Amino acid sequence: MSRKALMSWGGRLVTLLTIAGIGLTLLPYFWMLSSSLKTGSEVFELPIRWLPREPQWSNYPDALSRGAFGVYFFNSTLVALAVMAGNLLFCSLAGYGLAKFRFPYRELSFRAILSTLMLPLEIVLVPTFLVVRGLGLVNNYGGLIVPLAVDAFGIFLMRQYIKDLPDSLIEAARLDGCSEHGIFWRIILPNCTPALGALALLTFRDAVIAMIPTAIIFLFFQRAFVRGIALSGLKE
Amino acid sequence: MFRQKAGWRGLSLQTRLCWAGFLFVLPALLHLIAFKFYPMVEAFRLSFYTYDLMSPPVFHGLENYRAVWNNPLFHQSFWVSVKYMFGVSIPEWFLALALALLLNRRMPGRPLIRLAYFFPIAMSQIVVALVWKFMYNPLGVVNTVLGSVGVGRINWLATEETALPALILIGIWRGIPLFGVIYLAGLQSIPKEYHEAATIDGAGPWQSFIHVTIPLLMPTILFVMVMSLLSAMKVFLNPLVMTEGGPNGTTRVLPYFIYETAFAYHRMGEAAAASMVLFAFAFALTLIQLRLLRRGGVE
Repeated sequence: MSRKALMSWGGRLVTLLTIAGIGLTLLPYFWMLSSSLKTGSEVFELPIRWLPREPQWSNYPDALSRGAFGVYFFNSTLVALAVMAGNLLFCSLAGYGLAKFRFPYRELSFRAILSTLMLPLEIVLVPTFLVVRGLGLVNNYGGLIVPLAVDAFGIFLMRQYIKDLPDSLIEAARLDGCSEHGIFWRIILPNCTPALGALALLTFRDAVIAMIPTAIIFLFFQRAFVRGIALSGLKE
Repeated sequence: MFRQKAGWRGLSLQTRLCWAGFLFVLPALLHLIAFKFYPMVEAFRLSFYTYDLMSPPVFHGLENYRAVWNNPLFHQSFWVSVKYMFGVSIPEWFLALALALLLNRRMPGRPLIRLAYFFPIAMSQIVVALVWKFMYNPLGVVNTVLGSVGVGRINWLATEETALPALILIGIWRGIPLFGVIYLAGLQSIPKEYHEAATIDGAGPWQSFIHVTIPLLMPTILFVMVMSLLSAMKVFLNPLVMTEGGPNGTTRVLPYFIYETAFAYHRMGEAAAASMVLFAFAFALTLIQLRLLRRGGVE
């Protein structure tokens, strides 16, 4: 066999391995899905049953009617959407300020923001609770949303991306008499959709229900998603 | 060019830009001050007090630090955390890079294959913990699969030798796609011409990888190293949901130790002192990595 043919067979083999690897990644999810259609005893049956004997579709209405599923679903969606919106807005604002303006202590602010990435949330659970209580946010949606509405990772991502946008874009708008917040809404935001998309996906991920829509969005926008991370370049 | 008027418009362009930039950053800064820096300072202050959430805090000097230092559970927990951090992140560094290299190749159906690998990133942590808890059950999938190759039944999460490795496996499995995306983004930002030039100069795929890909990927590699260690250090939910720190504390990572001290034993001051030790550890580790990063010629 010629060297070239050997290489192409090798390539095909690697592709096959890549596809086979998907099995390892998705197996737990597949098992969860198949178990969701099994009877209780089938789940632990031996030898293992990868597919239910007879799909128990009634499991779904049963689960949905147990507890106030509708309320939980609504709560999760609302909180996830609000946290995402907060992150998109505040992280892009801060990212723009840090990337394109000079002001005293800018670098210090940026470093201080990054240092919060080192902080496990549990460490500051009690003082955070006191802040939340001080703001009157206990026992309402605000208590779940506000503490998570800004994240240093998002600011970092947006800053790196906006840094690469040409300054001339901003200066031209300024010369044309556009106000500073006008520049942000009309020039900056429309030009950083890939980074905003990546940030939206990453902040929305803790909402269980978001999974399927997220998969669809990812399929269509993965180029933009990966580019969003690429361009926000982990280069300093 | 600018009409001289009182107020905002009356300021020089430079001063206005200075203020504008500051005002853009201000909301995020205020938020972080309220929800990150202030709690951090509070925790630091609290670490010198005895406080049980009921009666008012009493100043106790360094007593909490002494108590933490003399607590054998803290030492155990520190080493559990270290084992978990390196056990998860070192395999992640290599496997995530391998995944990114595979997904960067040309192949039919690439968008779908990438989707299959990356969409679990969007899965909720709680769901992941529950699914794996099910799978590690003595009658669960893991034992069934291993049973078919002759391995006996193991109660993975309740056995001292296997509980931590079981959690480490989940951490790795979950981290590979996440850091894989970041590596992939890094790989895509390397201009193709570099590899073409290397090929023309007679470099094989391996040489091209070592001498072109790796040096150009260095910033990404170091970012992944720092982030994977920090995120492994912060693990909390899996031990909470799956093992409650057991058996015999073999999965009691530091964040879980802190949580337990604070909310099960109501020793807020001691929990705060342990938090400070964890923070100092994270800080030192990151500093060392950044130092290495600078020595590696990457800034």
